[in-house]
Amino acid sequence: MTVRRRRRAITTSSAAVAASLLAAACGSSSPTRAATAAATSSAAVPLTVYSAQGYDSKVTAAFTEATGIKVKLDDDSTGPLLTKIAAERNNPQWGLLWVDGDTAFAALDKQGQLLDYSPPVTLNAPGRALVPADHSYVPVSTTVMAALIYNAAKVSAVPTSYQDLLTAPYKGKVGMNDPSQSGPTYPFIAGLMDQLGGTANGVRAGEAYLTRLKANGLQVFPTNGDTLHALETGQIDYGLIQSSAATGEVAKSTVSAAFEPRIVYLPKSTLLPGVIGIDKAAPPAEQAEAKRFIQYVLSPAGQHVMQTGDPTGDSLYWPVVPGITAVSGLPAFPSRYQRIDPYFWGPLEGQVNTFFDTNIK
Amino acid sequence: MITLTPRRTPAESDLSPDLRGRGYRLAMALSRARGAPLAIFWSLVVAILVLPIALFLLVAFSPRLLSQGPQWISLTGFREALSGPLLHAALDSLMVGILSAAAATTIGFATAWLVLRTDVPARGLWTGGMFALLLAPSYLVALGWERLLEPSGVLDIIGIGAGTVRHSFYGPVGIVVVLTTKGVPFAYLAISNALRGLGEELEMAVRVHGGRARDAGRIVVSLLAPAVWSALAIVFAESISDFGVAATLANDAHFPIATFTLYNAVDNFPINFPVAAAIGWILMTMAGLALACQSRALRGRCYRVIGGRTRPARRQRLHAPARAAALAGLSLLLLVGLGIPAFGALSASLIKDLGSLASSHGLTLSNYRRALDSPALREPLLFSARLAAITATLTTVVGAVSARVLADRSSRLSARVLDLLLLTAVALPGIVFAAGYIFTYNLPAANALGLHLYETTTLLVLAYLATALPATARVLLGPFGQVQHSLGEAGRVHGDGSGAAWVRTVLPVLIRPLLSAWILTYCATLLELPVSQLLYPPNHPPISVGITKALANYDFGGGTAMEVIAILFALAVVAVAWGLFALIAPAGWRKLGRSR
Repeated sequence: MTVRRRRRAITTSSAAVAASLLAAACGSSSPTRAATAAATSSAAVPLTVYSAQGYDSKVTAAFTEATGIKVKLDDDSTGPLLTKIAAERNNPQWGLLWVDGDTAFAALDKQGQLLDYSPPVTLNAPGRALVPADHSYVPVSTTVMAALIYNAAKVSAVPTSYQDLLTAPYKGKVGMNDPSQSGPTYPFIAGLMDQLGGTANGVRAGEAYLTRLKANGLQVFPTNGDTLHALETGQIDYGLIQSSAATGEVAKSTVSAAFEPRIVYLPKSTLLPGVIGIDKAAPPAEQAEAKRFIQYVLSPAGQHVMQTGDPTGDSLYWPVVPGITAVSGLPAFPSRYQRIDPYFWGPLEGQVNTFFDTNIK
Repeated sequence: MITLTPRRTPAESDLSPDLRGRGYRLAMALSRARGAPLAIFWSLVVAILVLPIALFLLVAFSPRLLSQGPQWISLTGFREALSGPLLHAALDSLMVGILSAAAATTIGFATAWLVLRTDVPARGLWTGGMFALLLAPSYLVALGWERLLEPSGVLDIIGIGAGTVRHSFYGPVGIVVVLTTKGVPFAYLAISNALRGLGEELEMAVRVHGGRARDAGRIVVSLLAPAVWSALAIVFAESISDFGVAATLANDAHFPIATFTLYNAVDNFPINFPVAAAIGWILMTMAGLALACQSRALRGRCYRVIGGRTRPARRQRLHAPARAAALAGLSLLLLVGLGIPAFGALSASLIKDLGSLASSHGLTLSNYRRALDSPALREPLLFSARLAAITATLTTVVGAVSARVLADRSSRLSARVLDLLLLTAVALPGIVFAAGYIFTYNLPAANALGLHLYETTTLLVLAYLATALPATARVLLGPFGQVQHSLGEAGRVHGDGSGAAWVRTVLPVLIRPLLSAWILTYCATLLELPVSQLLYPPNHPPISVGITKALANYDFGGGTAMEVIAILFALAVVAVAWGLFALIAPAGWRKLGRSR
């Protein structure tokens, strides 16, 4: 052995010892899925769930209790989860993704990352409207975007259409989220564009509408929470936010002489589904577990955990499974709703967000 | 002169050839093993810094390399990053970075001087205040200001119109103020550690030769140049890479900053890593410019002033007006940097419906009760505390080695390479590391080599180490740069081996900076967010992820209560660390580095 090779051997073994010591010190060691899959039988693979739902820890625990299938839950906001999935593209580690909004799923489907699956459950009308033609993802609940929440203690004017928001009574009083930072807001803008000009002329018509709204004093805040905070602090009197956030605010708030939040839905409301997709690159055993997970979520037991797991947040959705009633306190499902085509509108998200950043924010 | 090369003695010459050969092989093996620690150090640097950063930045040129686009070679990311709002954000970052670095270094220098060289009252309070400033995440400081100034905020509730202040604070002024207060402790630590080691012999020499106090002061400032430049560079890099202020105050003020545009590119759909990587290159170039300035200013000079004859400096007595001014300045610093954000955090967690239009704002402990009862706090807090302790210990050791390499004049090339790497790392936001770690350690090739680190606690700790190392190394560079070689050699002359000589002569001089570095890293790691968010092992969320989730679910009271509890926990650890030092450390260790 030459001096150089021996030195390299010393270095390598020292580095290995150091890494082992560090691993021992950290008590590490959830091995990765590849390692687990290689080391165990296919039936023992845990299901890796990437989820941004407020009730996910309770649902996964109930699922494990009901089926005996172990779940590794990565619970985070939608943004970081999609970042992880994009960064993992060379070697995906997720088994199942569960977040609100279907535009990201349409993009994953176009990239060939989703496993087609049609659960043996008949959905209600809004649910059926949300199912993609190739069954690449599964809607399991829905909210709408946007709910118009307003402070009835301060203002009496209530709009009945989006055009009303361009008029004098609403000047400087309307706020909405930034689509670059708030996941649910792009589907809202896309829905607005779709209804103003369809797929042919919607972008131009929507940009013109947003420009006029800006001219009428539209204020932009980062996310649902910030827009609600602006409403609470009197910076705005009307806020366009996700229906579950608006309903939660009404449920949590104490009505006073200065603050009384109420909700109205302007036609048309755009459906914003809670969606589950299965990783096409996952081991077959994990894909089978993911399918069982979807079936559990759509079952009465699963829906019950979803409806009770986050009472003032994500539990405030409208069910897409017939026979399941919405939680009390949730207003009636908007009669005039629409579903946007995520395969058409999803790819336009970057372009629309850039327009919004440059001209509206 | 002591030689480290094993020499054959006459007695050895008489040994049999076999024994001689064995002895020679042993000596050679020991000689080779002596180089192993440095090789491990560089391997670690490559593994935790070079590879993740390089892979992330490569995506700017070759999106397809890591499946982030169809092109093998493309400059589209740069085109987007260098135009429109993204270019505007980069220029904003440059401006606030320069202003914050200059202001924080000036204030840090003044604070270090007052605390270490004068009899200003309550010196322990100001030193503790610097550590408390380090504890407060920048987003908490920014949110504290927002709670004060926002409509229906504290000032509005108590009847003080905040309109004018609000208008000017929600913009570059407020951002520079917050970044400066966050930068002051870095500057203070870098400069105070150097100032502690600087005796007053040289000042006395100036005075003996007829120089005035101003001349002596100029000598001191000159001798502290490495620490001052180090402070400027680190505060600049920390400011341009800060995410907390960018995501809160800057975002709310619609004042775009590069780190936030980078974050937006990778955290919102559609995910755009090439653009994020291009912004990373821009931030790195800015940090490189800071390093170039530092290097140019210090080129060809020697600042080794600590030796066996160095004696602690005496304190200057301040006259009453000067003392009052010093107290007012230090109090204002802590009020701006700590008092207001602490008030913001406490009010959000204790006052019912603060920041709303509710007519009554009573006190309530319900948020704390909920936070303490919640499993979302207890387990993550203990998990984060354990990881922070491991990270702090590792970072202090590796940071000390880094500082030694940086200060070693005989290894200029490796020092320059390491310096560039560390400053690059400071300039890049944590999310870059996190994404780079996924790119690197989730590669099929890495798995094929048997490296299954992704989604393990080990990788999370390595990423924490990578994010903490640059700041720690730069903070330690000042003190390490001042230690003369003769100090260790003196120990060896008196019969100690190299390790024992270092422990007996050099460690006592450096123990305080090392302990400071440990505490700094512990506190920074405990509430670290971007790396935690992307790299935490499933089912084991750190405390920062729990807090973020609470805030994202509009539970501002509960989330802020969790923050306050975590910060109190960190303060308790700091108190225990310094308390143990006071109780256990040998008297000599405690005495060294203190002013008389």
